[in-house]
Amino acid sequence: MRTAAVWLIALVILGVVASGCIGGEEANTSKVDVQLSGDFTKDVLEIGKVLEQNGVKEVKFSAWGSGDPNSVMRVYGIVEAARRINKIWADNGIDVKITITETHYVASFQDAYEEYLSKQPLGQAGDFFVNSYAFLPTLADEGYILEITDYATAYQSVIDDFYPSLIEASKFKGKLYGLPQDTEARPLYIRKDVAQKIGFDLTDLDEKVKNGEFTWSDVYYWAKKAKEEGAAEWGLIHRKGSAHPDLIQFIFAFGGKLYNPNNGKLVLDVPAVYKWLYVEWKFARDGLLPEDIMSWDWAKQIHPAVVEGRTLFDIGGTWYWTEWQTKQYYAKDGTPRGLKPEEVKEWFYYTLFPAGEKGGEPVTLSQPFVWMINSKAGQLNPKYDELKDVYHKLAFLMIIKASDPDINAIHSVISSHLPVRKAAAELIKDEKWLNDLKSLNIDLDEKVKDNIREIVQATVHPINAQFLADVSYMLEYTHLAPAHPKYPALADIFKEAVDKTLRGEMTPEEAVNYIIQKVKADPELAQNVEIQGEVPKDWKFPQE
Amino acid sequence: MRKEKLRDLSFFLSPMVLMVLLFYLVPLIMTIYISMTRMKNWNVERYLTEFVGIYNYERLFYMFQHDPTFKAVIMTTIVFVGITLMINVFGGLSLALATFFINERAASSYRLLWLLPRMSPIAVYSLVWYYFFHGSEIGTLNSILMSLGLISEPIPWGQVTPWGAWSVIIFVNGLVGVSFGMIVFTSALNQIPKELVIAARVDGASSWQISKRILIPMMKWHLLYVLTWQFLSLLTTYPHLFLLVEWDLVNRDYGTTLALYVFNTAFGRGEQDQGLAAAAAVVLSIIGVIGGFVTLKVLQFEKMMKKPRGDF
Repeated sequence: MRTAAVWLIALVILGVVASGCIGGEEANTSKVDVQLSGDFTKDVLEIGKVLEQNGVKEVKFSAWGSGDPNSVMRVYGIVEAARRINKIWADNGIDVKITITETHYVASFQDAYEEYLSKQPLGQAGDFFVNSYAFLPTLADEGYILEITDYATAYQSVIDDFYPSLIEASKFKGKLYGLPQDTEARPLYIRKDVAQKIGFDLTDLDEKVKNGEFTWSDVYYWAKKAKEEGAAEWGLIHRKGSAHPDLIQFIFAFGGKLYNPNNGKLVLDVPAVYKWLYVEWKFARDGLLPEDIMSWDWAKQIHPAVVEGRTLFDIGGTWYWTEWQTKQYYAKDGTPRGLKPEEVKEWFYYTLFPAGEKGGEPVTLSQPFVWMINSKAGQLNPKYDELKDVYHKLAFLMIIKASDPDINAIHSVISSHLPVRKAAAELIKDEKWLNDLKSLNIDLDEKVKDNIREIVQATVHPINAQFLADVSYMLEYTHLAPAHPKYPALADIFKEAVDKTLRGEMTPEEAVNYIIQKVKADPELAQNVEIQGEVPKDWKFPQE
Repeated sequence: MRKEKLRDLSFFLSPMVLMVLLFYLVPLIMTIYISMTRMKNWNVERYLTEFVGIYNYERLFYMFQHDPTFKAVIMTTIVFVGITLMINVFGGLSLALATFFINERAASSYRLLWLLPRMSPIAVYSLVWYYFFHGSEIGTLNSILMSLGLISEPIPWGQVTPWGAWSVIIFVNGLVGVSFGMIVFTSALNQIPKELVIAARVDGASSWQISKRILIPMMKWHLLYVLTWQFLSLLTTYPHLFLLVEWDLVNRDYGTTLALYVFNTAFGRGEQDQGLAAAAAVVLSIIGVIGGFVTLKVLQFEKMMKKPRGDF
């Protein structure tokens, strides 16, 4: 009996192990290769011919994306790219077509990342994956996304049209792993109507912010005035959560840093973090910022408070501009509705995130999204082992096509994200093109048109295009959150500390010590974080 | 004769033995093995052979020792498991007894009502309570109390530490668990011969006396089962807690139990550290085994397992 049982266990274990090994063997087939020349049509035709010669009539790809409801071009851009390539093939008598089998779009980009991470090794993740640059290092390091450095060499003229800082954000250890899809800035919004009530003159304010004359002490002064004079319920509203790293702008605004490029470690800049927490604590203690803001509801509290003018200042993002128009946050008239472009323009002033102290630099923060290609892209298609390189190059050409200036410009206008290419930035200034977009009288896939029709109706407006043009200068002041695998853990601790400070459970100094303790509690995090400086002793806020 | 008996036994037991092997033993061995590797980001090919010994356990215990919030986590686990368990067991028992004495049709609909929390998807169910207990005027409870004039300012229920946060998580999980006990106890009650109840009634016993003297003593087995089962599931549950904490409805420190803490440590911070998660799972399993063993000892399981007296 005992021997039988031992045999049985051995058999089961063997079965489990064997099931994991089956299919792992690589077929011994000759690989087909094509060389990219940099001439898009020529390259597409050559790939089409190779596929046709190999009997492939249909290439199936899937696109995974995530974000706010207006950013659906993150997946439909791929659908449109497929249509444009199909057209080239059809016009030249090549009987092959690309079918996008799935456009998987979810709201949370972290969820999308986790799903991709868990499904990629199983071969079940999308062929195209658009997500934050912050995840690119991990995905590249694990071999889950395709390195496109060599492919991109042939398309240097396209690469050169992207803003260089965004191309840098798409690299890992000097190699290119994706193409930028969009970016944004995070302005400080100011309610013009509330400002007027308290005599806050906004003329040339952005200039004063730029030269470090208008700082967070001034924000405090006006916020307090607005509250005390009853012009607004709150002085300041800001975003919540650790996923949206908006609040780390304070670290940069106080001249601090988050990353040490010399040793690749994250930095806990104690003086800057202390000043950040002190500002939050002071605002909350004086009743200018809700002490429970970190548990406010986005749709029912945060946005309504801003669009209904219950605050003077709001730390937001450029995408708020159209989100306020398409989502029904404004309920002052009874029935909730979106704002009209004219209302947004009339009510909101926007500027950079001011410097922490006089003479400092204003900042903003960007989180570029990047089009990445699955390292197993095209695996569900025929003769994958032989044609792997061809499928990968086709996928690369698809993201090149999806970066066409008009596709990028459509995405920018309807979602209020900033264009990633200079040619797209030029296009959004073209009034005729905007009018054609408004009436959807443009060369675009019918399915895509149907899917963005409502968003286009609500958002395509000269005021919105002008807004994008006006905020583009902010990219010159932008900072990126460190693309470090341990950064989310640190950001999570920051969030807890901000929450405790706002609620008054901890003083700023206690909260800084709490962060240090939490960092040190995890040996792996401690190894990756450099703690710099000490709590400043004679620092005062607001400054005279 | 012995051989024949063995053959028969093997035949009847083999499906179950195979299931236990496949679904319990093999995963257990794999979990222990993974806990000793650097496995992360689901990259089996790269990390499954990278053996690190007890490194993940050392890291976990180091965190237990040095994390300033860990004390709150342990307190929360004890209070949460203790009180929710009582609600689950005695709530289930009271519901089963209450519905036992009423008309069957009414009893069925009433029981169905109590099953709703278990039937609703976790996210939907948690969202209902998120809006109910929300700490501002948009929260249902706050708006009711404010319109009744009982409070003038909204109360941030889940953020009042520790008891506010504990009350919310206990309430939300308590309601889910009650239905399990209710079903088990109802089926147990239905097995008890009706004659006993009728005879007691004829003798003039009240419903309370019938419950206390006849029904509950005959459900000892089921009580033991529900108690042990619920104890183990409460020790390892985290989905509802995860959402309530993630949505900032309840205070993070006092809304996090050990199970959620290890989940967050291994998966919740943008990192997918399966090696650490496996080590935590092993630690939780050991706590579960000890807890289960203690429960069985306290409730004198062996006594119940004794062979019935009498001649056979």
